[in-house]
Amino acid sequence: MDSINTLFLLSGFLIALSILASRLSTLFGLPLLVIFLGLGMLAGEEGVLGIKFDDYSLAFLIGHLALAMILLDGGLRTRLKTFRVGFKPALSLATLGVFITSGVVGLIAMWVFDLTLIQGLLVGAIVGSTDAAAVFSMLGGQGINLNERVGATLEIESGTNDPMAIFLTLTLVEVLVGDLRGVTGTLMFLLSQFGLGLAIGLGAGWCIARLLRWLDLAPGLYSLLALALGFFVFGATSWLGGSGFLAIYLTGLMIGNQPGRHLDFILPVHDGLAWLSQIGLFLVLGLLVNPSEVFEFALPSLMVALALIFLARPLAVLIAIKPFFKFRWREVGFISWVGLRGAVPIVLAIFPVIGGVANASLYFNVAFAVVLLSLLIQGGSLPFMARWMKVEVPATITPNRRGPLGVLPENDYEMFVYKVEDQALNDVPIRLLRFPSGALISAMFRQHVMLHPKGSTRLREGDVVCVIGRTDDLPALNRLFNGDAKLDRARAFFGTFTLQGDALMSDVAEAYGLTLSPGEQEMTLGEYVSLRVGGHPVVGDDVDWHGFHWVVSEMRGNQITRVGLRLYY
Amino acid sequence: MTLESILPPERALFGVPGGSKKRVLEFFSTFIAQNTPSLDSQEVFSRLVGRERLGSTGIGHGVAIPHARNPHCKSPLAGFLKLSEPVDFDAIDGEPVDLVFVLLVPEQADDAHLALLGQVAAVMNDPSTRQQLRKSETQRQLYDTLLDAIRRHASEDRSG
Repeated sequence: MDSINTLFLLSGFLIALSILASRLSTLFGLPLLVIFLGLGMLAGEEGVLGIKFDDYSLAFLIGHLALAMILLDGGLRTRLKTFRVGFKPALSLATLGVFITSGVVGLIAMWVFDLTLIQGLLVGAIVGSTDAAAVFSMLGGQGINLNERVGATLEIESGTNDPMAIFLTLTLVEVLVGDLRGVTGTLMFLLSQFGLGLAIGLGAGWCIARLLRWLDLAPGLYSLLALALGFFVFGATSWLGGSGFLAIYLTGLMIGNQPGRHLDFILPVHDGLAWLSQIGLFLVLGLLVNPSEVFEFALPSLMVALALIFLARPLAVLIAIKPFFKFRWREVGFISWVGLRGAVPIVLAIFPVIGGVANASLYFNVAFAVVLLSLLIQGGSLPFMARWMKVEVPATITPNRRGPLGVLPENDYEMFVYKVEDQALNDVPIRLLRFPSGALISAMFRQHVMLHPKGSTRLREGDVVCVIGRTDDLPALNRLFNGDAKLDRARAFFGTFTLQGDALMSDVAEAYGLTLSPGEQEMTLGEYVSLRVGGHPVVGDDVDWHGFHWVVSEMRGNQITRVGLRLYY
Repeated sequence: MTLESILPPERALFGVPGGSKKRVLEFFSTFIAQNTPSLDSQEVFSRLVGRERLGSTGIGHGVAIPHARNPHCKSPLAGFLKLSEPVDFDAIDGEPVDLVFVLLVPEQADDAHLALLGQVAAVMNDPSTRQQLRKSETQRQLYDTLLDAIRRHASEDRSG
C-alpha cells in the first residue's frame, strides 16, 4: 500500500512542479523540455529527492507510450494543406537526411570514443532523427511564425523520420549481438517498416476519421476512441512488421484533417495528453539517467554534439534538400539549425541496453548528453535564429475564439470572436466596415452587455464582436480586425502597396514601365511571381525585379492572391 | 529632385468633396489638367483608375497614394487632397480614406521616381503627421504641415 501512496505522491508532485516550472521557460527563454529533464534529474538518485529508478524496460514502455501519443497529437495538428510545400522535402530529410546524419555522426563518434565502425554508427543512428515533441513544442511555444515552407518541412520531417532512425538502430543492435538478417532481409525490413507504416497509417486513419465523424457519441468519448484506435493501429502495424510510429502519426493526420464537430472534442484532450506525455517522458528519462555518468563522457559527448549540430545536420540538409527543391540559402540554414533532438534518441538508446549490447551505458549517456546540448544550444537560440535568418513572417490577428456552428455537416459556418483592439475602428459604423459578403456580425458585447448590431451601430475599442462566416472569410476578417501595430509591421515586411494576384502582367508592366518578354505578357502577376520563386510559393517569398521587392502576401491553396510591392527607398 | 520641389502650394487642396473613390480621382484629374495645361484630364483619370484596378493604393490608416505614369508629364508632379468626408478606397485595412497624395511621373520610369514614391509613403507613415494633417483647418496650414513633414523626413534621411 505504501508504494502506491508514494507513487501518487511523487508523480503528482513532480508533474505539478513541471507544469508550474514551465512558466520559467517563458520568463528566461529556457527550453521547456530541458526544464522537465532537469526536474527529473533533480528528483533522481543523485539529486535532491534521491529517487532510485533504473528500470530500463519500464522507461522503454513509457517512452513508447508517450512517443505514440505525441506523434498522434502532432498528426492531428498538421494541416494537410501544408503538405503542398513540405511533404517532399520532409520525406527526403526523413530518409536520406537521417541516413547521412547518422553516418557522419557515426564516423566522428567512432574516432572520438575509439569504437569499432558498427559501434560508432550505432551512436549515429541513435541520435539520427529529429524529435517531434521537441520541434512541435519549440515552434509552437515561442510564438515564432515561420514561413510555411520552413515550418511545414520541419514539422512533417519530425513526424516521419523516426522509422528510419529506429530501423538503423535496430539493425545495428542486431549486427552487434550477432543476429544478422543478411542484406535482403535488412532491405525487406526497411521496406516493410516504411511501406506498412505508410499504407496502414493512411488507410486505417482514413477509416477512423470517417468513423469518428459518423458516430454519435458522448463528447468525452471521441478523444478516447481516437486514442484507443490510434494505439490499435500502432500495435497492429508493429505486429505486422511496419513502423507503428509512422502509422500513428499518419492516423492522427487523417483524423485531424477530417473536418467535423468531433474535432472540437478531440483536439483539446489530445493537447493535454501530449503535454502529459512530454512531461512524463522527460521526467522519467531525467530520473533514469545518472548525471555523474553523463559527466564522465562530457567532453567527448560535447564533441559529438557539436559535430552533429555544425557538421552532420547541415551536410544532411544540404544534400537532401538543396539539389531537389527550391529552398533559399537562409531557409536551408535555418532547417539545418533546427535539427532538434529530443526524447527519441534517449528512448532509442535504451534499445542497446535491452538488446544486451556490450558497453550499453555508453550509448545511453552519450545520447542523453547530445540531446541536452542540442536542446540548449539549438532550442535556446531558436527565436534569435528565426529572426536572423529571416524565415519569419509577421503574424496576423486570428480570432480570439472560433468554433463551428454545427448547422451544415459539410462546409459548415463558423463563429469567429474578435476583440476590437484597433484604434482606427473606434466610432466606425458597422455598415462602413469592409466585410466579406458571406459573413455577418451576429452579436456584439460592450462591457459585458450584449448589443444588437445594426448598420448604424458604431464600434468601440474593447468591443467583442461575434462574426458568423466561413473559413474562406478569415483572411479578410483578420485584416479588418488587425491592430495598428500589426498593420505597420506587416507593411514594413510586405511593402506599402498591395497588388492583386490576378492582375495581368501586361497591365502591371504598363503601370510601372517594366519590360516583359513575350511569354510573360499573358501571365497574371501571381503566376509570374510563382514562376520566379520556383513553384510552390509561400507567404513571405520575395523576388527582386525592376527596383522592387515583390513579396507574396496572401495565398489561397497554390495560388498567389496578393503580392506586396516593397520599395527599396 | 525632391518631393518639396514637385508640390507647389496651389496643389495642396483642402476640403475636397469626397463622394467616392472614382469621384475623388475625377476631381484631381480635372484639377491637374487645369493646373498643368499639357495634361489631359481623361488620360490622367484613366491611368490612375487603371493602376487602382491592379490593387488599391489605399495603404491603410486612412491614406491613399494613387500614382501613375503619364506620357504628357515632363517631370514628376504631386498633389495632395484632404477630403471633407472619408471615402471607401478598398484600402488594405478596409478603412475609409481622407488623405490622398497623388503622384504623376513621366513615361520613362526610373529609380528616382520609385524613390519619390517611397518618400511619399514614408512621410505619410508617420502617425503624428497624419494627425496634424487631419487637424489643420485652412489650406495654408495644411500645406505648411505637409511641407514640414516632408522636410523633416528629408533631413532625417540625410542624417540617417
